[in-house]
Amino acid sequence: MKFIVSLITTSFLLFSGSLLADGHAKTIMLSTKGPGAGNPFWASVEAGAKDAAEEFGVNLIILSPPQESDVMAQVAQIEDQIAKGVDGIAIAPTDPNAVAPILDDAIASGVPVVYIDTNGINEGVTFIGTNNINGAALAAQYICDNVPAGSDVAILQGMITQTTGQHRAEGSHKGLEACGLNIVAELPANWDTAQGMSVTEDIITGNPNIKAIFASNDNMGLGAIQALKNADMLNDVVVVGFDANPDAAASVAAGEMSATIAQFSYNMGYMGVENALKLANGESIPDNIDTGTVLVTAENAADFM
Amino acid sequence: MDKSQDSTFVKLIPFFEKYGILLLILIMVTVLHILQPDVFLSWRNITNVFKQVSWQSMLALGVFMVIVTAGIDLSVGSIIMLSLMGLAIASKAGMPWYVVMLVAPAVGFLCGLFNGLGITLLKMPHPFIMTLGTLYIFRGVGNLISGGVPITGFADEIRVIGNGKIKLDTILGEGTREYIPTSLILMIVIFFIFWVFLNHTRIGKWIYAIGGNPGAARAAGINVNRILIIVYTLCGFLAGIGGLILAGRTNSAYPNAGLQSELDAIAAVIIGGASFFGGRGTVLGVFAGVMIMGILRNGLNLMNVSVFWQQVLIGSIIIIAVYIDVLRRDFSTRK
Amino acid sequence: MSEEIVLEAQSISKFFGTITALNDVNLKITKGEVLGVVGDNGAGKSTLMKVLSGLYKQSEGSLFFSGNKVNLNSPRDSQNLGLEMVYQDLALAGNLPIGDNIFLGREPVKKVGPFNFLDHTKRKQLTEEHLAKLKINVKSADQKVEELSGGQRQAVAIARATAFNAKIVIMDEPTAALAVKEVGKVLDLILNLKSLGVSVIVISHRMDDIFSVCDRVMALFQGTNFAESLLKDTSRDEVIGWIMGKKD
Repeated sequence: MKFIVSLITTSFLLFSGSLLADGHAKTIMLSTKGPGAGNPFWASVEAGAKDAAEEFGVNLIILSPPQESDVMAQVAQIEDQIAKGVDGIAIAPTDPNAVAPILDDAIASGVPVVYIDTNGINEGVTFIGTNNINGAALAAQYICDNVPAGSDVAILQGMITQTTGQHRAEGSHKGLEACGLNIVAELPANWDTAQGMSVTEDIITGNPNIKAIFASNDNMGLGAIQALKNADMLNDVVVVGFDANPDAAASVAAGEMSATIAQFSYNMGYMGVENALKLANGESIPDNIDTGTVLVTAENAADFM
Repeated sequence: MDKSQDSTFVKLIPFFEKYGILLLILIMVTVLHILQPDVFLSWRNITNVFKQVSWQSMLALGVFMVIVTAGIDLSVGSIIMLSLMGLAIASKAGMPWYVVMLVAPAVGFLCGLFNGLGITLLKMPHPFIMTLGTLYIFRGVGNLISGGVPITGFADEIRVIGNGKIKLDTILGEGTREYIPTSLILMIVIFFIFWVFLNHTRIGKWIYAIGGNPGAARAAGINVNRILIIVYTLCGFLAGIGGLILAGRTNSAYPNAGLQSELDAIAAVIIGGASFFGGRGTVLGVFAGVMIMGILRNGLNLMNVSVFWQQVLIGSIIIIAVYIDVLRRDFSTRK
Repeated sequence: MSEEIVLEAQSISKFFGTITALNDVNLKITKGEVLGVVGDNGAGKSTLMKVLSGLYKQSEGSLFFSGNKVNLNSPRDSQNLGLEMVYQDLALAGNLPIGDNIFLGREPVKKVGPFNFLDHTKRKQLTEEHLAKLKINVKSADQKVEELSGGQRQAVAIARATAFNAKIVIMDEPTAALAVKEVGKVLDLILNLKSLGVSVIVISHRMDDIFSVCDRVMALFQGTNFAESLLKDTSRDEVIGWIMGKKD
C-alpha cells in the first residue's frame, strides 16, 4: 500500500518536475571512464566540465565506474541518472559497443548524448575528442625527425580492443613506416605502467639497437623509461608518449621522456558540457568536434605539469 | 534442552534468522526513499535495479550452490564472457536466433562441466585452484575466438531475455510507458526453480549434506564427486544464462564482460548469509544479497556518490553482514 | 535368549602386505545379543569390524549372515543384509536436521509427473515414529544436529543406523566422546535395541559400558581371539587383564 502511495506521489512529483524544468538550470551528466581522483587525465576533463558548468549555469553530475574495465557499472550509472531525470549526457564510453543500447534508450527518452574522448557507435551522436590517428602521426613525425633513417623502433600499444588503442597504433605505424624506420616490435601493454615496463624489457633484450619507442600512452611510456634506465639505455633511445599527463610532462622537462602528445582533455570536459547543453536546448551541433593535439617537448613541458 | 523458559525474544530468533535480511532491505529502501523521494521508488528506477542485478544474480546463484558444498568458483566472470563470445560468433555465423540463444547456456554448461571434472578427476587440492586456472583459460579462449575485439549487434529475438519489455498497456491503460523487464521474470523463474531444486529434491539435500560433512555424505552412500560435478556444471550453466542476459542488455560481446564479477557474486552470497565453510545459506538469502548490493549501488549512483565510496561501503557491508551473523550464532549457542 | 545366529565370522585373517592384522579370528552373535569386543589399540578390533561391514575384504576365512555364506564387496552389501555401522566420528551432517540425517541418501520421495520430490511430511512422520520406538527424546525432528549434545548426536547416529530394519549394529566406542550423564542414555538405547531384537556389537574401552549392557564379551590380542566369556562368568579385573594380554 505504502509502495503504491509513494509510486503515485513520485510520479506526480516527476511530472510536475518536468513541467518546471524548462525555467530552471539544466542538469548535465558527465560520465568518464574512471574517477578523476585516480587519473590526472580525467581530473582535467572534470575541471573543464566544471568550468563550463559554472559558465553556463549548468547543474553538473560527475560519475564514473571504479575502473575502466567495469563496463556494467557505467551502464548502471547512466540508467540511474536517466531515471532521476538528467537533461543531457556527455560520456567517455568504457566500451562503446556495450554502452550503446543504454544511450539509445537515453536518446529515445529525450536525453541528448555527446561522446567525449572515445567515439561511440550510435549513429548521429557527436564526437568531441582527439583525432588519435593524427595525434599518433604527430608523435611518429617527431621520432622520424630525431632518429637516423632505417633505425629500429618499437610501438607499445594500448588495449588493442579499443578504438583509441587501435587508432594510436595505426597512426604511429603508418607514420614510422612512411619515413623509412624499421618497426621491430608492436606489442600491447594495455595502458599500464608495469606492463609497459616489462614489455619494453622484452623488446630491448631482443633488439639492443633500438633507437625509439612510441608508447600509446604516457603510463606505458614511463614504464618504458624505467626499463631503459635499468638497462642503461635511456640516453640512446627516444621515448615518445601520449596524453601529456603531469608525470610525463615532468619527465619530458627532466629530459628523460623525449616528447609526448597533449590531448586537450580539459577541452573535452568543457566542450562536452557545452555541447550537451546546446542539444538539451534544442540547438544543433556538428558531428565531429576536434579538441586538437599538440607536441610537448622540453620547451613547453612546463605548461602541462 | 528441557529448559522451557522461551522468552518472546528467543522465539523471535528463528524469525530473524530467516527474514532478518529482508528487514535490512526494507530499511535500505525506506532510507533511500527518504533521501531520494522523487526517484528511488519510481517505476523506472525499480526496474533499473532489477535489470542491473539480473545478470549478476545468475552468477551469485551458481556460486552460492558451489559455496554450499564448501567450494568456490572463481571462473564465473570468465564463463560469462566466453559464453557471450560463443553467442556472438554463432550470431555472426548466421545461425537462427533460437540456436544462438542456446549457445550461451550451452557454453556455460560445458565450462562448468570442465571445472567439475577437473576438480574431481584431477583431484585438485581445492576448487580455488581449478577455477583460478579456468578464470584465465576461459577469458583467454574468449579472446582467442573473438580476436579480442567486441562483436556487436544481435537480433531482437536474442536480446529479448536481457532487454525485453513486457508492456503494461493492457493493465495500466493505453500509452503507459511502464513495463516489466523480461530479465526480472527470468530471474524470478530461475530462482524459484533452484529453490525447488535445493529444498525439495534429493540432490539438493545432498548438496547441503556434502557442505555439512562430506564424510557423512559418503558414508550415506552418496557419490560426492558426481554431485560436485553437477553443482559446478549448473554454476557454469547459470553463468551462461548471465551471458545471455548481458547479450541482450549491451547488444555486444565485449572483451571486458564479466571482469571481476565473480567477486561481486561471492560478496552477494556472503551478504546473503551463506557460510564460506559450506552447508549453510538459502536461495532467498542469495536473492537478498544480490538486491542489497544492487540497491546500494543504485542509491549511491542516484546521490552522485563517487564510486570510491561505493567500494568502501560494499566492502563494509560484507564485513558487517558476516559480523552480525557471528553475533547471532554466538547468541544462539549461548541460549 | 534365542540361539539363532545372525552373523558368524569363521577363521578370518587379514594381511596388509607383510603385516598380519587378523589371524584366524572367529566371531558369532545371536539375535538380540549384545556382544562386547575389547582389546588394546592395534589388537585388530577396527579391522575386524571393517571386514564385517564389507569395507575391507578378508584375506582368508568366511562370513555367514543368518547361516548363509556371503561375499561382501562394499558397505552397501552388508547394509543390504541388515548390518549397519555407527562410526566413531558419527558421520552426521551438523547443518542438517535430525530427520534429514537419519534418511540421508535414502530420503522418502513422492513422484510428481516425471520428477521425484522430497516427501517432507513422510520423512518427518517416519523420523518421529522411529525416535519414539527407540525412546530418543529431542525437541523436534527438525532440530539441527549441530544444536544437539554429544549424547543426542550419538543417539541420532544410532537411529540412523537402525532406521532401515537393521539386524546387527556395530558401534565403535559409542560413549567415548560423551559427558558422564549422557553415557547412561546411550547405554539405555543399546538395551532398547536389544529388546527390539537387534544384535549389537559394542567396541569399547570402558568397562562400565561393557558390564552394563553386554551379554558376552570377547577380547582380541595381537590380531587373534584371546579370550571370550559370558558376562556373568567373568569380572572387570579379568577382562582388563585380557586387554593387556594376561590370562590366569
